[in-house]
Amino acid sequence: MPPGALSGERDVREAYAAHAGELYGFALRSLGDVGLAEEAVQETFLRAWRAGARFDPQIGSLRTWLFAILRNVVIDLGRARASRPTVAEGGIEPTVEPFEEALLSWQVEEAMRRIGEQHRRVLVETYYRGRPYAEVAAELGVPEGTVKSRVYYGLRALRVALEEIGYDD
Amino acid sequence: MTTERCREWREWLGAHALGQLPEEERVALEAHLEGCPECRAELEALAGVAQLLPLADPQHFNTAPAPPASLADRVAATIRAERRSQRRRRWRLGFALSGATAAVATAALLAIFVLPGGSSSTPEQRIAFRLLPPGLQISATLEPHAFGTEIHMYVKGAPSGTLCRVFVRGPGGVRQSAGSFRYRWGGDSDAVLSAALDLSRTRAIGVRVGKRTFVAPVGSANA
Repeated sequence: MPPGALSGERDVREAYAAHAGELYGFALRSLGDVGLAEEAVQETFLRAWRAGARFDPQIGSLRTWLFAILRNVVIDLGRARASRPTVAEGGIEPTVEPFEEALLSWQVEEAMRRIGEQHRRVLVETYYRGRPYAEVAAELGVPEGTVKSRVYYGLRALRVALEEIGYDD
Repeated sequence: MTTERCREWREWLGAHALGQLPEEERVALEAHLEGCPECRAELEALAGVAQLLPLADPQHFNTAPAPPASLADRVAATIRAERRSQRRRRWRLGFALSGATAAVATAALLAIFVLPGGSSSTPEQRIAFRLLPPGLQISATLEPHAFGTEIHMYVKGAPSGTLCRVFVRGPGGVRQSAGSFRYRWGGDSDAVLSAALDLSRTRAIGVRVGKRTFVAPVGSANA
């Protein structure tokens, strides 16, 4: 069994403490349902524990591995839901694309939560709300140039945060 | 092109990447960018982030949803229950095989407990590569064969003509080449390759697209 394998109950507890929040946040974003998101997280750790001996930290991080398992769980749950007649109005079979898109959306949102409040604020006001710099500057009581530089440092911080989330192995 | 001067221009780059710079400032900045490769590179990096922004919903920026505290206990309870039922199975098996040789019993136990449940029943595996640069799509389907593993490699969004080299990794990270192909715009949607490594022993698949390598886990992680 490779070192770092997820075999004991304690390993699972530690993995849960470190990653359950993120896995849950993403599952909820992707499935849009609290009950399903909880089910997805539970199933992910169960599958991880069953296959724990095969986790090899030399290939990738535990986090990446758990997300890969969650990916399959979410697709399975999405399929199961789509096959229920009440929800399957569109009759669309969930495929890889919506999952990857949901993952990317979640990553950007998670990165936004990680950057500083000042940076997030100017990005929300100027980009998402489309407000003029002068107006945002007046509201915040800072020169317009400061809003501009916060947008710049905000995007930079966002890039770093995205790297933290994505490239951890 | 002194650093001090660039610093001033740089603070405009964010607004520029988001398309928010007033006309006059934009023209001035672009004139600077023309003669400053460092600032151009910085703009390119910011533009990569800027194009991801429409994917996010600002409603989700402030609160990270947290799982209920009880979920941790439920996860632990599910695993305990499964472990107990595995033990019971092992006991029954032990009695049934009490007359057989130890070697046979060991082989049977290995077959049950070493192969993780579920994954061995799926004949083919669909692998998605995560965290790719925007615009690039890579996925693969792996099928088990007597000769090893057949790989259907799907790439989209690379420059036409890009050389793609595929490899697989077995236990312990041992790497085996699975061949190469060139990605062409408008060409076949996937390339068919093969590797002399059993799918059950394949732990990861990787592809070098141009100068960048992307790796995805295979096996239990995709069970």
